[in-house]
Amino acid sequence: MRMSRLIAMTLGVAAMAITLAACGSSNNNSSSSGGGSSSSSSSGGADIAPTTGKKGGTINVQSSETFEHLDPGQSYFQVDYVVVYAVDRPLYSFKPDDPSVAQPDLASGPAQVSADGKTVTVKIRDNVKYSPPVNRTVKAADVKYAIERGFSAHVPSGYASAYFGQIEGVPSAPTNSVPNISGIETPDDTTIVFHLKSNFGATLAKALSLPLTVPVPEEYAKSMDAHNPSTYDSDPTKQAFTGPYVISKFSPSGGVTLTRNPNWDASTDYRPAYADKIVWKTGGDSGVVGRQTLAGTNTLMADGPPADLIKQAYQNNKDQIEFTPLGSRYVALNTAKGPLTDLNLRKAIIAVTNKVAMNLVRGGSLIGVPGTHFLTPGQPGFDEAGGDKGFGLDYMNTPTGNTVLAKSYLKKSGYKGETLTIVGAKEDPAPKSTALLVSSLNSIGIKTKLIQVPQSTMYSKFCGVPKNSPDICATVGWLPDFPDGYANLYVPFDGKAITAANNANWPQLNDPKVNAAIDKATGEADQSKRNQDWADADKLISEDAPAVPWQWSKDAELEGTKIHGVIDLWNSDWNLSFSFLK
Amino acid sequence: MALLEISDLAVRFNTDDGVVHAVEGISYELEKGKVLGIVGESGSGKSVSSLTLLCLTQSARTEIEGEALFDGEDLLSLSKERQRKVRGNDIAMIFQDPLSSLHPFFKIGNQLVEAVRTHNAVSKAAARDRAIEMLGLVGIPDPRGRMDSYPHEFSGGMRQRVMIAMALINEPKLLIADEPTTALDVTVQAQILELLGRLRDETGTAIVIITHDLGVVAQMADEIAVMYAGRIVERADANTIFNAPEHPYTWGLLKSIPRLNSPRGEELIPISGRPPSLINRPTGCHFHPRCPYVREAHKHTDPQLIPTGSDQHHLVRCLLPAETRRALWGQLAAGATPDAAKTAVPIPEEATSQ
Amino acid sequence: MLSYVIRRLVWVVVLLFLVSAVTFVIFYALPSADPAKLRAGKQPTAALIKSIRHQLGLDKSLPEQYRVYMAKALPFDLNGKGFPLRFKTPDLGYSYQNSQPVLRELRQRLPATISLTLGAVVVWLLIGIPIGIISAVRRRSILDRATMTGALVAISAPVYWLGLVGLYFFSSDIGKIHIFDGAGSYTPISDNVSHWFGSLLLPWIVLAASFAAFYARLLRSNMIEVMTEDYIRTARAKGLPERRVIMRHALRSAITPIVTVLGLDIGILLGGALLTERVFTIPGIGLYAYQGISNADLSVVQGTVLLATFFIVVANLIVDLVYAVLDPRVRYS
Repeated sequence: MRMSRLIAMTLGVAAMAITLAACGSSNNNSSSSGGGSSSSSSSGGADIAPTTGKKGGTINVQSSETFEHLDPGQSYFQVDYVVVYAVDRPLYSFKPDDPSVAQPDLASGPAQVSADGKTVTVKIRDNVKYSPPVNRTVKAADVKYAIERGFSAHVPSGYASAYFGQIEGVPSAPTNSVPNISGIETPDDTTIVFHLKSNFGATLAKALSLPLTVPVPEEYAKSMDAHNPSTYDSDPTKQAFTGPYVISKFSPSGGVTLTRNPNWDASTDYRPAYADKIVWKTGGDSGVVGRQTLAGTNTLMADGPPADLIKQAYQNNKDQIEFTPLGSRYVALNTAKGPLTDLNLRKAIIAVTNKVAMNLVRGGSLIGVPGTHFLTPGQPGFDEAGGDKGFGLDYMNTPTGNTVLAKSYLKKSGYKGETLTIVGAKEDPAPKSTALLVSSLNSIGIKTKLIQVPQSTMYSKFCGVPKNSPDICATVGWLPDFPDGYANLYVPFDGKAITAANNANWPQLNDPKVNAAIDKATGEADQSKRNQDWADADKLISEDAPAVPWQWSKDAELEGTKIHGVIDLWNSDWNLSFSFLK
Repeated sequence: MALLEISDLAVRFNTDDGVVHAVEGISYELEKGKVLGIVGESGSGKSVSSLTLLCLTQSARTEIEGEALFDGEDLLSLSKERQRKVRGNDIAMIFQDPLSSLHPFFKIGNQLVEAVRTHNAVSKAAARDRAIEMLGLVGIPDPRGRMDSYPHEFSGGMRQRVMIAMALINEPKLLIADEPTTALDVTVQAQILELLGRLRDETGTAIVIITHDLGVVAQMADEIAVMYAGRIVERADANTIFNAPEHPYTWGLLKSIPRLNSPRGEELIPISGRPPSLINRPTGCHFHPRCPYVREAHKHTDPQLIPTGSDQHHLVRCLLPAETRRALWGQLAAGATPDAAKTAVPIPEEATSQ
Repeated sequence: MLSYVIRRLVWVVVLLFLVSAVTFVIFYALPSADPAKLRAGKQPTAALIKSIRHQLGLDKSLPEQYRVYMAKALPFDLNGKGFPLRFKTPDLGYSYQNSQPVLRELRQRLPATISLTLGAVVVWLLIGIPIGIISAVRRRSILDRATMTGALVAISAPVYWLGLVGLYFFSSDIGKIHIFDGAGSYTPISDNVSHWFGSLLLPWIVLAASFAAFYARLLRSNMIEVMTEDYIRTARAKGLPERRVIMRHALRSAITPIVTVLGLDIGILLGGALLTERVFTIPGIGLYAYQGISNADLSVVQGTVLLATFFIVVANLIVDLVYAVLDPRVRYS
């Protein structure tokens, strides 16, 4: 679902590209950095590693996108997260420079996963208070309520059933009132126990960093949740905040203002919270907003600027632009039916595609680099999967396309000259990279027929519906919901994840070896073993050649001249609790 | 001295297609209180010559020559401000179509008051009174109530009366009426003409009536000038024009008027052909392509406007000898067609020396 | 005349119903996106999507859904108990995308759009009318040729591009010359009048540019045509000063088509000057409509379409009535 928000964002912004800039999507860029550690990205100059900063002042944030849901139970959008993680405390979160370690936030220590992976126990702090007017201490039952409300119809969560659906007693469909989930136990005020239907505990522990785990006091929110949709979302100034800031002003068209939470105790939190006030304005042309950010002193831009401005800022304002890896774009090949069930044909396609050119035509190496496997830079398991080079598969290591190699695979395949149908998005700049894909294929004699439709139609009508899927889905991409192999590989490549509608396993890969490897990794609680397990799964997936990973994407973030902005690597966006004015 | 003395007035328009000789050297005089009828087809220059008197044809592409003395002042060399003071004040003009000539969006009371206050520094109330007075004078029933009516709320005849009221409201010395009855039906025509006559009697205003219809000027005009292709081709007092015209064009006009007393079954005799282009006019006598009595010499020699015979007042622009002309008219008046007349009367080949 | 007005008002209501029905049908005929799927999130099972459909009322038949929508949207209760009608606040639903009630959003955003529209109208009339008159009177002069060429450029320039150029040259934050307030500086008039004014100056100019040009050209050609009318000749023959002939007699006639077009333009702009709002970040109806469309948000789309329709239809009616006032020859029965 996060992907579809991204796509919707892309669609929205791209549709506005009537004149200027390739208003491409605002994020989807990558840089290679080793997974896990706090290494800065390959370009730009702003130091993303948090350092001690000055307290005080006002930060002005701007985004051309507007907020979708600031209710932590519904929030599922990169830009929404920037606010939610500054005003709320989920069970776990991530330090800006280290997305591999789940930092206990509301929790007081790491999640305990039972040996069989069916029970997860979390202990929470006893000294976190809600903002006024609630004022009381957070209890474990509040987290239980928070997760339960995500399964009710008035608080539609985009990912509740995906990651929390394994909890026992979870309803199969959204309920009218907030359900009681028997599988979530709160034996006392500081303990939560999750009982799962299968060996999912290790992965659930990772998913506890999602904002669904932000505590919500039931007695306070009940009346709001009784509305459909809940007014906890439509009037976010009324929420019960636990983070260093509160939302003091909100306007759906204008933005938010964050001010300090009087009940936040710095000693209970790892966040420094330097700024006193954050004023966030939404809406507008992303080129204009970007320039305003660069011209300002205490400004941050929370979504991506257009490609031409990225280039310009990189040349003229190097220390005001920051690149972080986030997500990937690939070409999905239909492994379930048609000519592409032939592995060698798929390998030929991956080999011949000129991935560098496809990146160049959308903005070059500043916005992305060719990929060689499916775990992306910065994600846990990336290094174990061979880092930039990947597994050394010859058809994958062909950044500019290798015609000779491709032809050899083509010969080995049973390709008889069938025409492959390609469906791609028509919004700029997608057709540019799709055109290069088509010419690459045609250059070795693979016949193609291209259908270009609006991005959302590509998903809702073609690629998201298995029986309507074409041979090739040209412009799909992926953003992990949290930094973990499960969020990177399960939905896109596991056979069990294939659904009849809203399908996101676009290659429809259903390889029992892959499925088994994913199962194993899902249940592994030990971090280093888990990383290796996911790398193994990545290897098997890559060997199945289900897609052309032509871009490991990078996000570009802009900041003003006198502000030290700190970026959350896991969200590839600013962290308001760590940024400060110079 | 006459009220109006026009001498050699010429008006030429420089268009993209060529120079249009709208008016070519016309001259006439008008005494105070008298009525002059200017008769001709469309394109004869009759309207242009009158509009020029009010300087309403001036533009960058117009050439105007000649003199137009009005009460001793040359209208053609007045300053813009002086021109404006003359218009609607000393000289007034009414036009053919009163529906399009009155502003459709303003009440007629407004338009009348405006006419008064442009030239007289009086209060609105005084101007209104004067307007009501004039409406009464021209025969509009309930003049006070009608002040607030719009032009389209009047019948054609009433509208023309309003125009006349507006023209005479400042007691001009000269009224130019350009086709005042053409847009009206016959019964109303008579009323309007009768009104004009009455006003002339009551106010002593001189009138120039421009028309293509000789019948219109039959009653009122003291003198008639017939225009063709920008020139006057015959000028005389009204009686003479009707009883003893001496130009083939005038004959043609007279013969083409339907008469109540003409024998049943007698055909009307139109003038053959069409008015000539004013850019490329026929050589020699401008009327020659349409003249039933044309001779070879007429195609090359341009006739002058000169008195015919002893009557210094009767001017004709024709190369035919006067006796021939009278003879021809004798025939035509008796009912002969032009062809019959042509055979009956010998027409000399040479043009008499002019 | 009164019966005419009443008939027209009835027609307004009929049109609103028609348009809302057509919007409904189009929304479902378009393959763009299914709100149930959008809400269903990740890896939905068929059962999940089905239940969401049911909750959103999307499993009812199209006419039934329409009836439900209209029953909520009308300002009175349709409980069929006859007279008297009980009035209620119309409920235009919620945005799927961010849970905000549509009616409240429309109400909050309307002042911004109204400010933008009316200000632009004033600017383009102040610029366009004088230029139109002068160009008509001084036809073919250098001034005329220059302004008409300029007008052609202004009409051809896309408003979005013009807005960006305006910002990049003249805004106080990112421009080369710091004259106007930058994008995003819009403040409601109720907050601070001088800020409101300053934030809208550049948007007004940009939005007005192509309209001013169009009106100038239109007025110029109307004036030229009117100046050949007989009553203008009469006015001059009456001895009126040329200035009065032009400004009172000619302009009065030439302006009537302009008033018609003006009314329609205002009606259309009140439905949302999308591009201008986007480039200057003015939180108005246009931007809201755009967001609704790109998110397949039926309630938002329906709400903004109805509002826009209302404005256009009412503007049409007002224009026709005004025309009858301006041109006394027109009378409605």
